[in-house]
Amino acid sequence: LMSAPVALAQDQILIKFSHVVAPDTPKGKGAEKFKELAEKATAGKVKIEVYPNSQLYKDKEELEALQLGAVQMLAPSLAKFGPLGAKEFEVFDLPYIFPNKEVLRRVTEGPIGKQLFSKLESKGIIGLAYWDNGFKIMSANKPLIKPEDMKGQKMRIQSSKVLDAQMRALSALPQVMAFSEVYQALQTGVVDGTENPPSNMYTQKMHEVQKHATLTDHGYLGYAVIVNKKFWDGLPADIRTALDGAMKEATAYANDIAQNENDVSLAQMKASGKTQFHEQTKEERAAWVKALMPVHKDAESRVGKDLIESIYKEAAAAGFKM
Amino acid sequence: MNAAIIFGLLLALMLTGMPISISLGLTVLSFLFFLTNVPIDAVALKLFTGIEKFEIMAIPFFILAGNFLTHGGVARRMINFATAMVGHWHGGLGLAGVMACALFAAVSGSSPATVVAIGSIILPAMVAQGFPKNFGAGIVTTSGALGILIPPSIVMVMYCVATTGHPQAPSIGQMFIAGVVPGIMLATLLGFTTWYRARKFGYPRLPKASGAQRIKALRESFWGLLLIVVVMGGIYSGIFTPTEAAAMAAVYAFIVAVFIYKDMPLSRVPKVLLDSASMSAMLLYIITNAVLFSFLMTSEQIPQNMAAWILDQNMGVWVFLLVVNILLLAAGNFMEPSSIVLIMAPILFPVAMKLGIDPVHFGILIIVNMEVGMCHPPVGLNLYVASGITKMGITELTVAVWPWLLTMLIFLGMVTYIPAITLWFPRLLGFM
Amino acid sequence: MLLRLLDRLEEALIAFLMAAATLVIFAAVVHRYLSGVPVIQDYVLHWNLAWAQELCIYMFVWMAKFGAAYGVRTGIHVGVDVVINRMRPDLRAKFVLFGLGAGALFTGIVGSLGARFVYHIAQTEQVSADLEMPMWIVYLAVPLGSYLMCFRFLQVAWTFVRTGELPHHDHAQVDGIDPVEAAKEGGPA
Ligand code: NA
Ligand code: NA
Repeated sequence: LMSAPVALAQDQILIKFSHVVAPDTPKGKGAEKFKELAEKATAGKVKIEVYPNSQLYKDKEELEALQLGAVQMLAPSLAKFGPLGAKEFEVFDLPYIFPNKEVLRRVTEGPIGKQLFSKLESKGIIGLAYWDNGFKIMSANKPLIKPEDMKGQKMRIQSSKVLDAQMRALSALPQVMAFSEVYQALQTGVVDGTENPPSNMYTQKMHEVQKHATLTDHGYLGYAVIVNKKFWDGLPADIRTALDGAMKEATAYANDIAQNENDVSLAQMKASGKTQFHEQTKEERAAWVKALMPVHKDAESRVGKDLIESIYKEAAAAGFKM
Repeated sequence: MNAAIIFGLLLALMLTGMPISISLGLTVLSFLFFLTNVPIDAVALKLFTGIEKFEIMAIPFFILAGNFLTHGGVARRMINFATAMVGHWHGGLGLAGVMACALFAAVSGSSPATVVAIGSIILPAMVAQGFPKNFGAGIVTTSGALGILIPPSIVMVMYCVATTGHPQAPSIGQMFIAGVVPGIMLATLLGFTTWYRARKFGYPRLPKASGAQRIKALRESFWGLLLIVVVMGGIYSGIFTPTEAAAMAAVYAFIVAVFIYKDMPLSRVPKVLLDSASMSAMLLYIITNAVLFSFLMTSEQIPQNMAAWILDQNMGVWVFLLVVNILLLAAGNFMEPSSIVLIMAPILFPVAMKLGIDPVHFGILIIVNMEVGMCHPPVGLNLYVASGITKMGITELTVAVWPWLLTMLIFLGMVTYIPAITLWFPRLLGFM
Repeated sequence: MLLRLLDRLEEALIAFLMAAATLVIFAAVVHRYLSGVPVIQDYVLHWNLAWAQELCIYMFVWMAKFGAAYGVRTGIHVGVDVVINRMRPDLRAKFVLFGLGAGALFTGIVGSLGARFVYHIAQTEQVSADLEMPMWIVYLAVPLGSYLMCFRFLQVAWTFVRTGELPHHDHAQVDGIDPVEAAKEGGPA
């Protein structure tokens, strides 16, 4: 079922890189950057075609398409790997598992990230890099100061067992809903609130239809750039090295853009005055952490206690006690 | 070149009379098999995931709701209400037919269903009152087309499905809200044509209903009319997403038909379920294959290249829209709306967006085109349905519909070149 | 006999899926609103209906695949028949058979592709996102539905060869509405 590298004229290697967001998002720009760097680094021996906006494959089918060899490269959100059989990846969805970006980097760029990627190999997938979208803020039409404020709120989430548990831990009512429907659902009141990194909230104009948001930074949203294993293993070693190098550079670029977009988006939303943004005090944050820590415990049976604790260790090494 | 092969093959297969869904699927299979490196297993995946989307599920729900209403006595009560309101004007029962079609269109998502529901009751009544058969047939065939313009509308859902993935793709809610004003406008125009011709030929009018009679008719049709509130009110106020509203409409219509109006015995419910499932499956099967087809086109970069080519022609918005209308009217000669929208929209939409046309305006103009297509031969579902009810031949019917069809064409021109007709209302409500 | 049983099973399955999907979404919406009501919410918040959408979608996909097979038997699939309807009967018959054969070919191929795909997915641990149902079971709709549809095309073709008759879906037919009766009732008072 797996396809060998597609040979073009003059033995050029074609990589179809498909993703589900717009070209002008951090991920979209990262994909374009990788195309540019990789084609240069391989002196044109590799041609990369980027298909944005789910043009070829949608969110729900792209992983199967990659496994079939219909596309070679994807950048799905990390929540997609759980249903694939790599439940360990659900750890990324755990609330407050990464106290800050430093701890996140220690995980994604260190041995834990590598170990997680190794879980994908039996699924015919090689993980190349972790790309940020950012840390999430919680929004609704009422102030969300204490965790109790979440009670009974209908909160949009993307399909994920951990996010479901997180909302339930706050006595909120999670509603699974496609990203594209969220704006209208918030506008009309089908759901009360949602969680997003600032850039997603801003590009979908959700700040126009949310009265309040709290800068909780409670969870992380990220992607993994992955390739079809058979395709990757079949590439000449020098090409693989060149692509690895290009990916490293593209990753730094994409993550910088993501951070920058989040900063700019937050500033723009604040300036618009349509949403009231609340900065948490130390005590408030502690209350949210306390309310949400049981989610870690519950997730142990799914993602593994060892994995969670190894991340605690990285946090401790960075000076955070969990 | 590839574009020519793909369209040539599709056209050849379609003209053999095989189901459109099969011609789409076979075109994709043969092309993938002989001419590309796309692994053919992707087809099996797409055949499942092509319809794996919650928005699409509005279609079976609306069909189910519509079937409960058609089989129940909702249509008859709407006709009585309409008759009490406008029956005393020129056109009498005919005018009431237009209004009843518009009312029924507001609870049903399909045009042929509207023709059946209203036509099978009002046409015999009109003949009994001394109207020529072709007058009533013309009214119902064309007014029934309001079924897809006045929300809810299955073809609007199809349009949203066909444009999914494009960053400017409209939402079902936006399309529904945008259909309200054009729908009322077209109903008014069709009503005017009816009134004018009835006055000219001196057709019978009814005695004016008293206030009490009107209130009685309103009260009796109340439960049916309330569905309009459930669907549109529900979507607009945010109680439901469009798909949820459709499911609620189905449950509501079931309760009204079986328990409130008691027009349908419980024993007939399984048959209604089966018919609705079968009709939905047929549409979903077309969608699946059309999604497959548009996947093939995207892989071959055909819409992108076609968009570039059309933009190179520098034809401008005015000419482009004219071309779109001609193309769609031509397609309306051979295919039914769902297939046309699913095949043409993915190609035309990107160009329209590049030309700066509003996605919702473009959608409504496509819908009005589809309405026209349903009312003229050789292929026109409404015409067939009306012919089934009236036992009139298609040629005879074609002559009968022309005054109203002409009205629709004039309206099509207005919708095409006056975007405000479409966009004013959704903008007023802050929906776009 | 066995055929009759298959017919009834097919009909029962798609009618059931239609009803079940409607009720699932109805329940989910009602639950969402009850969860917002103080007091009641304390009882219903812990019910987890997050899987409702996914279940509804899967039920409808199954309904679509099996309903499409039922549709072949009842002649509901629309085609462009304006050209062949103008041909002389023997030539038209050839085109009709060609169309049915093409349908059988397509659905047969798709069924086989689907079977291969399901076999491949069954080797993985893939589950659906919300229900965590094994994906190969979910995808089974493609081979099963397509093979059934293939069988229906062959069945219709065989009947056509023997009797010259095709199933035809009458869009103007509505059960329970008799135009003559309707005229009596529907006419204004
Ligand atoms: Na309608
Ligand atoms: Na037509």
